[in-house]
Amino acid sequence: MTDLLSWFSAPARRRPLLRTLVAAQVLYVLGVAGAGYATTALGKRVVLATTPIDPRDLLYGDFVRLRYAIGENPLSRWHGPEAPKRRQSVFVLLATGSDSLSTAVGVYPQAPTPSVGQAVLRGWVTDVYPASFNLRFNLERYYVPEGSGLRLEKAGRLHPLRVRVSIAPWGQARITNVEAEPAKK
Amino acid sequence: MSRRFLDTESPGWVADGLISEAQRQQLLARYPQQAPALGLLPILGSVLVGLSGLSVVAANWQGLPAALRLALLLGSLVGSYAAGSYFLRRGNPDLGHGLIGLGLILFGASIILTSQLYQLVGYDASGLLAWVVAGVGLSYVYGSRLLVLLTVLIGAAVQTYCVESLGIFSYVTAWLVVGGLGYYWWRRPDVVGSYVLAAGLLWQAGLLIIALHAKITWFFVPAMLIYAAGDWQPNRLGGRALQVPPLVAAYLFMFGLAVFGEADAYANVLRPPLLPYLGALVAVLAISVAGKRARGTLATLPEWLLLLPGFYLSGGLSLAVATLVVLYAHAGSVLARANRDHDSDQLTIGAVLFVAATAVAYFKLTWGFMDKSLFFLIGGILLLALSWYLRRRNAQVLAAAAPAVAQQAGAPALAADNSEAPEATRNS
Repeated sequence: MTDLLSWFSAPARRRPLLRTLVAAQVLYVLGVAGAGYATTALGKRVVLATTPIDPRDLLYGDFVRLRYAIGENPLSRWHGPEAPKRRQSVFVLLATGSDSLSTAVGVYPQAPTPSVGQAVLRGWVTDVYPASFNLRFNLERYYVPEGSGLRLEKAGRLHPLRVRVSIAPWGQARITNVEAEPAKK
Repeated sequence: MSRRFLDTESPGWVADGLISEAQRQQLLARYPQQAPALGLLPILGSVLVGLSGLSVVAANWQGLPAALRLALLLGSLVGSYAAGSYFLRRGNPDLGHGLIGLGLILFGASIILTSQLYQLVGYDASGLLAWVVAGVGLSYVYGSRLLVLLTVLIGAAVQTYCVESLGIFSYVTAWLVVGGLGYYWWRRPDVVGSYVLAAGLLWQAGLLIIALHAKITWFFVPAMLIYAAGDWQPNRLGGRALQVPPLVAAYLFMFGLAVFGEADAYANVLRPPLLPYLGALVAVLAISVAGKRARGTLATLPEWLLLLPGFYLSGGLSLAVATLVVLYAHAGSVLARANRDHDSDQLTIGAVLFVAATAVAYFKLTWGFMDKSLFFLIGGILLLALSWYLRRRNAQVLAAAAPAVAQQAGAPALAADNSEAPEATRNS
C-alpha cells in the first residue's frame, strides 16, 4: 500500500489539492451564511419575553445581553428520569399563548414531539436549585445593528423586550429581531 | 556556530596549530557571511500596513453590510492561501507555510464571524468540525510542522468549546486528531511535533474525563495509551518525545499523592472500580511491554512504576510510605539507566527526581515532630550532601565516558586523560 502521506504531499497533486481544500472552505462559509437565511425562511417563529437585567450591564460592547423568561423554570417542569445536571443539554417545549408570546411548557432531556402551535428550543442547564433550575440558550447576546443599541437599552430598563427567534427544522436557531414590548397602559 | 564566533576564534586555532591558515580560509568559505537582516524590513512594513487595515475593518465591522463582511472574510481567506502557495513556489517555505497557516486561522474566524453575523446558534460541533478537517488536510498536503501544531491547537480549542459550552464531547474531533495527526506522527515523527501532539492528546483525554463525569484516575488509561504508542514508534527520538508529556502527568500525580495523599478525603474522587480500572491499565501495559520488547527498549519499563494505583490504599502513613518508595524506585531506575548509558541529561533528570523525592520524604516524615529550626537545618544539610554526592557521581560517569569517546575518535585514552585532568582542576 502506498503511503498516504506521500500520496497527499506529492508535488504534482499539491496545487489541485490546495484548490479543492480552499474551494471547500469558501463553500462551507457560504453554507453557514445560507443556513442563516434558511433558518429565517423555513424556521418556526416564536416570540420570547426577556426579564430585565441590571441596566448598567445591558448594553455590553456591540451586543445587548438578554435574559429570557423561559430560562428560569421550577423543577415541576422537568420531565426526566434523573434530576437535571449542570451543563446538561436539554429541550424546552414552547407553546404560544394568547398574547403571541411563547412560554415554556416543559423541559426534557430528549427531544419531545411538538404538537400544533408548539416548538422545541434547545438549551443548557446552568444552575440547579432545590426547587428550580436555570437554562441558557446561546441566544443571550444580540449583536445590535449600528446605532440602534441605545434605543433598546432605554426600552429594556422600563419594559421587558420581545425577541423573535426562528428555529430551523434541523435545530439551529437565530434571533431575527429584538423590539420593545408594547407599553401596557 | 555563528560566523562571528568563527571570525574571532579561528586566528587562535591557527596560532595553536590546530588548523592551518588554508583550512581556516576553507572553514570561513564554508560558512559565508549571512545576508544582512534588511530582508526583514519589508515584511515588518507589510505587517504594520496589514494591522492598520485590520484595525479599520474591526472598528467598523458592525457597520458594514452583511455581504461586504462576508466578501472581506472570504477575500482574505483566499488571498492568504494564494500568497502562501506563491511563496512556496518561490522557494520560501517559512513564509509560505506561515501564510497557509494564516489562511487556516481565517477559515475558523470566518465560520465564527459568519455565525455571529446571522445571530446563528448551532447545537453540535459540526460547525467547527470543518475547521479541524481543513487543518488535517492542509497538514497532509504540505507536511509542515507549523500546520500540524496549528491543527493540534485547533482540535484542542474546538473540543474545549464543545465540552464547556455545549456539554458534549465531540468524538469525531478527537478521532480526527488521534487518527489524522497520529498517522502523520507515525510516518514523520519529529521531536517538537511529538511533544505538542502528546500534550494535545492529553488535553482531549482530560476533556473526555470531564465530559463523562468519570473518576479522574481514568485519565491515565488514555494517557498511557499515548505512552505505549511511543514505545512502538521505530524512530527513537520521536517516540521518546511522545512519551514525555504522559510521563510528566503520571509523575505529577504520584508526587501530588505523596504530598497530599494522607487525608482520605479524595477516596470518592480517585477510586474507580478496582477490576475494570486495573484490567484496562494492565491491557495498556501489555501493549507497552510488547512495544518495548519489539524495539529493544525494555530498560525503560520501570517508568510504569509511576502508574501503581497507590490511591486504593487507605490514606495515612501507609499510603505516604508507599508513594515515597515508588518515587525513590523511579528516581533510582532513571539514575541507573543514565549511569549505564553514560547519558548526562538523564543523569541530571534522575538527580532532580531523587532530590525531589528526598525533600518530600523529609517533609512528610519529620515536619510534625521536629523543632522547626532543627527541621530546616537538617533538611538543608541533607540536600547539600545529596547534591554534592550526585554531582560527584555525575563527574565520575562523565569522566568514564570521555575516554571511551576519545578512543572511538582514534586518540589515545591516556593522552585525553592527561590533557583533561589539569583542565578539570583549573575549572574547579
